[in-house]
Amino acid sequence: MRWFILFSAVISCLLLGLAVGEQWINPFAASDALEETILWELRFPRLLTAFAVGGLLALAGAWFQVLLGNPLAEPYVLGVAGSASAGAVTGLMLMPESAWAMSAGAFVGAWIGIVTVMLFSHLGANRMLLAGVVLAAFWSAVLALLLALLPEQGLFRAFAWMMGDLSHSDIPVPVLLLAWVIALICGLILSRSLDKLLLGERHAEALGVDIKQLRSRLLLLASAVTALAVTAAGTIGFVGLVIPHLMRLLFGSLHSTILPASAIGGGLLLVLADSAARTIIAPAELPVGILTAIIGVPVFLFLLLRRS
Amino acid sequence: MKLADVTVKRGESTLLSGLSCQIRAGEVTVVLGPNGAGKSSLLLALAGLIPVLGIIELQGRPLSAYHRMELTAQVAWQGDLPPTEFGLTVKQRLELAAGESDVESTAAAMDIAPLLQRPLGELSSGERQRAELAALMLRDTPIWLLDEPTAHLDLKHQIHCIQMLKSQRDKGRAIMTVLHDIQQAMAIADHLILIDGKGGAEYGQAHQLFEGRKLTELFDAPLTQQGGVLMPDYGDHK
Repeated sequence: MRWFILFSAVISCLLLGLAVGEQWINPFAASDALEETILWELRFPRLLTAFAVGGLLALAGAWFQVLLGNPLAEPYVLGVAGSASAGAVTGLMLMPESAWAMSAGAFVGAWIGIVTVMLFSHLGANRMLLAGVVLAAFWSAVLALLLALLPEQGLFRAFAWMMGDLSHSDIPVPVLLLAWVIALICGLILSRSLDKLLLGERHAEALGVDIKQLRSRLLLLASAVTALAVTAAGTIGFVGLVIPHLMRLLFGSLHSTILPASAIGGGLLLVLADSAARTIIAPAELPVGILTAIIGVPVFLFLLLRRS
Repeated sequence: MKLADVTVKRGESTLLSGLSCQIRAGEVTVVLGPNGAGKSSLLLALAGLIPVLGIIELQGRPLSAYHRMELTAQVAWQGDLPPTEFGLTVKQRLELAAGESDVESTAAAMDIAPLLQRPLGELSSGERQRAELAALMLRDTPIWLLDEPTAHLDLKHQIHCIQMLKSQRDKGRAIMTVLHDIQQAMAIADHLILIDGKGGAEYGQAHQLFEGRKLTELFDAPLTQQGGVLMPDYGDHK
């Protein structure tokens, strides 16, 4: 029943997302070629991008939480978002006229962040988390420096990207959807080991998990997924933090269930947030990161209150 | 399992050195010693979870030659209570130990059947400890390593735990357990390992090592004989 509700919600939100925007269009009865174009060449690819990016962020969040043994972990906790942002702004500085410079810079920056964090992966969850938090602070400082040096005309583009921007993703939709599927399959393959990791690294190892191998695979997988999502849509907060918790409340703790639920639920939240972002002040758009935070913060606080 | 000249370290400091002993089927070896002496580290080493110096052999093969899954099929370890942040239920915790078979009956045996659907985080420490013991019982391995199995338990369940270990020993299981209660140790031990916290470790038959002066020195705590039974000396009753 819960799965039926989740799938129904996805279909409903995709239809709603098709319909809303600067102008209302009935997805089943477009009146002319222009509306057909808006529906299927503009809104539909953007909705699929939102769905895939949201799902990838929620998957990465679920993985980072169990990898670090910390329910407050999220995809950006180890500084990947900071390094990606610094990379994006660097790309913008070097090639201000290029359409893809920010995405390329973000991708390179994200991987620099990932490789740096991987150097600390052998230290165990707590020290890796500490190293990640310190690295995140470092990348924030680098980002602030770059923003200070960025010419004024680039600032708006940089800030819009940093708050999340689905309006012009440079990564093709099929690539994102394929990544969503591959990431989910990888997660499901690892799900039994991830369940054991919920008992802590030592208990998991005593139950047969090769903990070093799992840790490095999970870190690489979660970081790669985060890098892809950030490259596609900038830094979008709260999806990766809130959705795994919400899905645990609805579906329990086992990863064979919460990973697919998170992949779908994350997509659902971002589809909703993006639909709202391009409708509320249409024809202008709000950065989608603002909407996920506005939806995410109350939900997260509700969860905290419920837990206590 | 055979240990020869085993040295366990934590960082740079040597917790115990030169320990040689055998853990045999159908016997209980109890590890005694003060806090921080290295008892838990010894169990972790025998479970292959931390490295040691010296030789540990299992069925004639060095422990280090075993693949993780092979070792898991031979040795079960019960340690600290696991974290509860992610909402695992008792039933899920038990299923992680050994699949879905026998979960209900084992839970009933450990008196936690009514708790099966509850998250671990909602249980008391004693209830969580019983869940951990049930998880251990589901592991049908020849060797069990237990780190303070009676910690957090009320008197009824402490007795139940010791009786369960005796019963498993009688079925041929090789058991090594860390205990802090001397009477529980006396009730169950076939062999003792005494770790003094200064690097020394002594192994021998329980009836030879259960001796007042030796244990008083080991724990640096007063013990007394009452009715032929060795007990902590809490001083006179008012």
